[in-house]
Amino acid sequence: MEEQKKRTAREIIENYDGPSVRIMEVCGTHTHEIFRLGIRKLLPKQVELISGPGCPVCVTPVSFIDEAIYLALEKNVTICTFGDLVRVPGSQMSLAGAREKGAKIHIVYSPADAEKYAKEHPEEQVTFLSVGFETTTPAGCLSVKQAKEDGISNYSLLVANKTMPGAYEALKGSADVFLYPGHVNAITGTELCEQLTEEGVSGVVAGFTAKELLTALAVALVRFQEGKPFFVNCYPRVVTREGSREAQRLVDELMEGCDSEWRGLGIIPGSGMQLREEWEAFDARKKYNMPKIEGKANPACRCGDVLQGKCKPSDCKVFGKVCTPQHPVGACMVSGEGACSAYFMYDTRG
Amino acid sequence: MENKIETQTVTMAHGAGGKQTSELIDKVFAAHFANPDLTADDAAVLVPPVGKMAVSTDGFIVSPAFFPGGNIGKLSICGTVNDLACMGAKPLYLTCAFVIEEGFPMEKLEEIAAAMEKTAKEAGVRIVSGDTKVAGKGQVDGVFITTTGMGQIEDGVKVGGELAQPGDAIIVTGDVGRHGCTILLAREDFGIEADVTSDCAPLWHTVEEVMHATHDLHVIRDATRGGVGTVLYEIAGQSNVGIRLDAEKVPVAPEVKGVCGMLGLEPLYLACEGRMVIMAPKAEAEKIVEALHKCPYSQNAAIIGEVTAEQPGKVVMTTEIGTQALLPQPGGELLPRIC
Amino acid sequence: MCVGLSAKVVKISNGTAVVDAGGAKREVSSQLLENLEPGDYVMVHAGVAIAKITDEDESETDQLMEELL
Repeated sequence: MEEQKKRTAREIIENYDGPSVRIMEVCGTHTHEIFRLGIRKLLPKQVELISGPGCPVCVTPVSFIDEAIYLALEKNVTICTFGDLVRVPGSQMSLAGAREKGAKIHIVYSPADAEKYAKEHPEEQVTFLSVGFETTTPAGCLSVKQAKEDGISNYSLLVANKTMPGAYEALKGSADVFLYPGHVNAITGTELCEQLTEEGVSGVVAGFTAKELLTALAVALVRFQEGKPFFVNCYPRVVTREGSREAQRLVDELMEGCDSEWRGLGIIPGSGMQLREEWEAFDARKKYNMPKIEGKANPACRCGDVLQGKCKPSDCKVFGKVCTPQHPVGACMVSGEGACSAYFMYDTRG
Repeated sequence: MENKIETQTVTMAHGAGGKQTSELIDKVFAAHFANPDLTADDAAVLVPPVGKMAVSTDGFIVSPAFFPGGNIGKLSICGTVNDLACMGAKPLYLTCAFVIEEGFPMEKLEEIAAAMEKTAKEAGVRIVSGDTKVAGKGQVDGVFITTTGMGQIEDGVKVGGELAQPGDAIIVTGDVGRHGCTILLAREDFGIEADVTSDCAPLWHTVEEVMHATHDLHVIRDATRGGVGTVLYEIAGQSNVGIRLDAEKVPVAPEVKGVCGMLGLEPLYLACEGRMVIMAPKAEAEKIVEALHKCPYSQNAAIIGEVTAEQPGKVVMTTEIGTQALLPQPGGELLPRIC
Repeated sequence: MCVGLSAKVVKISNGTAVVDAGGAKREVSSQLLENLEPGDYVMVHAGVAIAKITDEDESETDQLMEELL
């Protein structure tokens, strides 16, 4: 042990000689940073990194894009969205395709900007595409509260926000250790992660800098060798045990849980969010009497298997051939965070 | 005030070829572009350059047309002059065609013409012929400009994207991504403020100084749309070589880094309009950088990597932790990444 | 899943804060955080300050490594 004291996180990773281990980075930004920093190149053979479902764009079902396009083209609604969603294919087309047909698609940095746009354009009906996990949901809720305060009635959300606990359940067997998404835990805290250890699920909360990622991986490897389920918060400068009470309270005031479809994982009970009845004036589905839309995904696309760690992007038949970042077939190729896009751009083809 | 045009905006009549058209040309364009070679006839009559000639054409649309550090007029001269300079060609002549939206403020058009005059003078190029069309409201966004430049290739200079060789040093003439970042902020879509001005600049004199420092140059390419990252991939492909980039050596202004951090963008893919990538044998690199540091638009010039024989067609970065990671190949519309 | 940016608070007013990251400034919501003061560092996501933080990962990781071994 004396010897080990001098070892850096990187040395621990590079010299890991324990049993083989599958580590799933749940968060898409982790996937992206791990590629950008070349961290995979440091890993010994028996350490496998799996890219999980933590990219909201990737798990957003085809039908959600179809709903947005319906609002834009049939109801003449101005769609405000994060840039991430613009190229995601729907059944017929993406939002970029709808824009070519005259749809008004406005890219924003924050839901607050979408609300502001609505306030400044009273002649337009404006809908924000509210996707994302626990980290992003409060921002959407704040924009709705602001709209109410401003007394505007031309602003609504098309909600597809999701929560992680159900996904962890669904993914339980897919990996030995989870690299938990630091910014989700900043909101939710870490109690759930601690509970999961009781079910035998191990994990570490990881930050996003090179140091933080390497440290989290080193901690995961050392603890894994000890053989018992574990949880360590490796991102304490941002993540506390209780998380953001204020954010939890805000979201609870406006939203409630519902069943939700995840691309590739199917419907996970209680894993989605919707606006509560008191706030339904801001719910685009109610406001526009949204018809039931059945999305049709390309059958050749294996995004679902990729998201569950059942196959690597390069195992998919369309990967890199028909499906490229310029012409994505599945959502995992669209977002810079998507596993397929990361594999493609950083060239781990085949 | 007889030299000033009276109407406040550009009208369809200014494009109809009659009196108003002549007035617009005389009082706005000719007044600024005046030089012995500028034609009032159908075509300019010029003395051809000695030796080889370079010709380049480029269309300019930029929204907004006015931005910190320049406007579409300055841009339309810089873009074409820089394309010529990249072939080692001294810019001699330039033609320009305007498509102006009905209702465009005359004062703004003046400002654009004045910027073109100033930039052309600085670059030592003469505007010899022009054309003006007016399009109906909404058919164009403000003003579009197309310029075509002709330049004289100095004797003994041969540079090109296919000439990069393993062992070459890769130099960038300044911090990257300023123009793209400036335009992004000027559109005010993201509510971000930062003190960033466009790098838009005419670079012929810079190239001239580099050529005085050494004749042993392989590639000079200006990094415009798609930024330095795109240029490196183009050259890696054209020359069938690999490129090693040292991530930490790429100069990026802290403000540009900050904006990119907020929007999840990579500075290497943001457009520049006054930056060049130069590849030359390593032994020449210091000399080149020294010469660049003496020029006004390349004080931050730096050696950022090298050309190798490995992984031809690829750009590989040495990351901040010393590992090698492929620079993702840029493509498609630059979209901010948030979630 | 969530691009976060650590930034310094330069101004506070009524539920909003102006944050600065390397000279890039943007107004964000500070409604999720109490007692924020200019000079504090926050983690920003989609226009909302989601957590008060320290700005460096050095001591954090040092301590974790210390505890680990």
